[in-house]
Amino acid sequence: MDTQTKAPIIIVKDLAARFGNNIVFENVNFNVYEGEVLVIVGASGCGKSTLLKIMIGLQKPYSGQVLYQGMDIVSAEETELNQYRQNIGVLFQSSALFGSMTIRENIELPLQEYTDIDQATIDSIIRMKLGMVNLAGYENHQPSELSGGMKKRAGIARAMAMDPRVLFFDELSAGLDPVTAAELDDLIIKTEEALGTTMVIVTHELESIYKIAHRVLMLDKEAKGIIAEGKPLELKEQATDPRVRSFFLRQKPDASDEQRFYVS
Amino acid sequence: MKTQKRKNCPEVYNISFIRKDLNLFVNLSGNFGLQNLMVFRNEINNEIYKQKLESVTIDFSGVCYLDSAAALALVQIEKEAAQQNIQCRLINLNDKSKGIFSVIREDNLINLSSQLERSQDGFMYNLIERRRLPSSTEKTQDSFIFRLVERRGLPNQSGKSYKDFIWQIGQTSGQIAKDFANFVTFIGELLVAFLYIIRHPKSLRGKDVLFYIHRAGVDGLPIVAMIGLLMGLIIAFMSFLQFKMVGANIYVPSLVSFAMIKELGPIMTAILVAGRSGSAFAAEIGTMMVNEEVDALHTMGFEPIRFLAVPKVIATIIVVPILTVYADLFGIVGGLIIGVTSLDLTLKTYVTQSMKTIQVFDVVTSIIKAAVFAGLISAIGCQRGFQVRSGAQDVGKFTTSAVVMAIFMIVLADSIFAIMFYYVK
Repeated sequence: MDTQTKAPIIIVKDLAARFGNNIVFENVNFNVYEGEVLVIVGASGCGKSTLLKIMIGLQKPYSGQVLYQGMDIVSAEETELNQYRQNIGVLFQSSALFGSMTIRENIELPLQEYTDIDQATIDSIIRMKLGMVNLAGYENHQPSELSGGMKKRAGIARAMAMDPRVLFFDELSAGLDPVTAAELDDLIIKTEEALGTTMVIVTHELESIYKIAHRVLMLDKEAKGIIAEGKPLELKEQATDPRVRSFFLRQKPDASDEQRFYVS
Repeated sequence: MKTQKRKNCPEVYNISFIRKDLNLFVNLSGNFGLQNLMVFRNEINNEIYKQKLESVTIDFSGVCYLDSAAALALVQIEKEAAQQNIQCRLINLNDKSKGIFSVIREDNLINLSSQLERSQDGFMYNLIERRRLPSSTEKTQDSFIFRLVERRGLPNQSGKSYKDFIWQIGQTSGQIAKDFANFVTFIGELLVAFLYIIRHPKSLRGKDVLFYIHRAGVDGLPIVAMIGLLMGLIIAFMSFLQFKMVGANIYVPSLVSFAMIKELGPIMTAILVAGRSGSAFAAEIGTMMVNEEVDALHTMGFEPIRFLAVPKVIATIIVVPILTVYADLFGIVGGLIIGVTSLDLTLKTYVTQSMKTIQVFDVVTSIIKAAVFAGLISAIGCQRGFQVRSGAQDVGKFTTSAVVMAIFMIVLADSIFAIMFYYVK
């Protein structure tokens, strides 16, 4: 997809995050273009999840801006933020389905809160969303009765309940077997093609990245920011930065004595 | 693989000592591991410190199994010996043992780097030489050996505990202040949520309120009734033992009803609800925090406090006064059982005596107290739940804290009420 012709839907400007005095990242600038699948990658601890949490308004950055259609969600008031939240859907690492509710109740929650759609229509919307994620017939199950992959899919159904413009996925395939992870990838591709939803995905599953990503953003712990940006295959073949190469070629950087074994 | 290797290795070890002048030769053979670590370490140490020594040579040629803990213990023996100016040498290590020593070396070397000069020709020296490790001691404090030494109660820096104590006082005071600030903030947020619900009554989750009324109220009734009844029985019985000496049996009903309604009913109920429901609220919200469910609520645009805390607080405030009235009633019934069976009072006298003592004011204050306690219990329970950050341990910690804090606040509020109602009346 040619991103240049599309307008950016989210603009991240000079973003910096800290934990206490520890700088997680700084000077992070990038755009999320409408209709693209942007994958954020990087080794553990580089701040991928922090970046995602800032982008969905869960965490405040140290400085910088996140502009959604011109509105800065970092400095936004709670009511404005709620407006933004109705336009996004989030799938958490642990799926975060509400354990005390059935799958139906999980999905209908935002629909009941934010719309005046009658119950019959809501029911059919729920059936449709569950059908989209291959979970038709599971309306009345409790989350605890579902497997890990099914929970993820139910989570996606809930994230898509309000037909959001941007979907965020935190660690999409963490803890899933390869087959289930591949199914999820297919689901992502299908959804993107059918609905044209913009997606921001945090993952480090290489196979997924090649399959689903239009564009990849790579964060690095040492560099405290973005070290690469581009199409996944181009990055794999053309990147000169050893950190990027080692990630995409799945090799340890050839530092000999870097990684020491400590007892503790 | 491991078991195969151990097949030819006896489960026991053997140590033989040979003394030559001021030199000790220790011959190790057999199996050295976690299971016999304490025994062989003591055995070797005893031999080393029996008489004055200049050097110890530990020969590994007969060792057929060595695990990392045993290797660590031997390194520790070497370290302690070095502190007593005894040179220690480890010789004839096979490849596997060398591998183990190389895995544990890094931390130890930092610990042992100070003895570099002393054991120039020792095994450790060779290792250090080979690894060219900086002689920094920064990592010593949190290294494994250090912790091991501390846990074993071996010599440690002295004078540290005094500083620790003051540090801990500061730390705890800071924690308490922060806790209090957190709680006040939470109460503020809760009030904002309440105001919102008053303005938008539809946003209250009625189903949840009913659910928690059932949980905290209906399910809690049997235990509250039972405790109330037993309290009444006990007070009646104990006071009867005293009153009968002065022939004042007739005042037992007054005492029971007065005590139950003014103090014991509200307090006992509140403590039971704190234990049953306050803890449940904390654990429930805490688990939701761990599972990212609260984050999910946030991103779906739901205010977690309004969504999770408000129904619980409303339900508790509705339910606890009712439970308190039940507790009062059952207390009086408990007293009545003793009164009628062993005090020679008729049912009618008992009831009229009780009625004479109780005033509407007392019942009303009892209910007000109960409602305030309910607010405290549920608010603390929810607030503690929201404080959970990660893991099951946090859930346990904050659940406990919810109950302890709630009971403390109940007693504190009760003392304030005692003084307040005295002046109001």
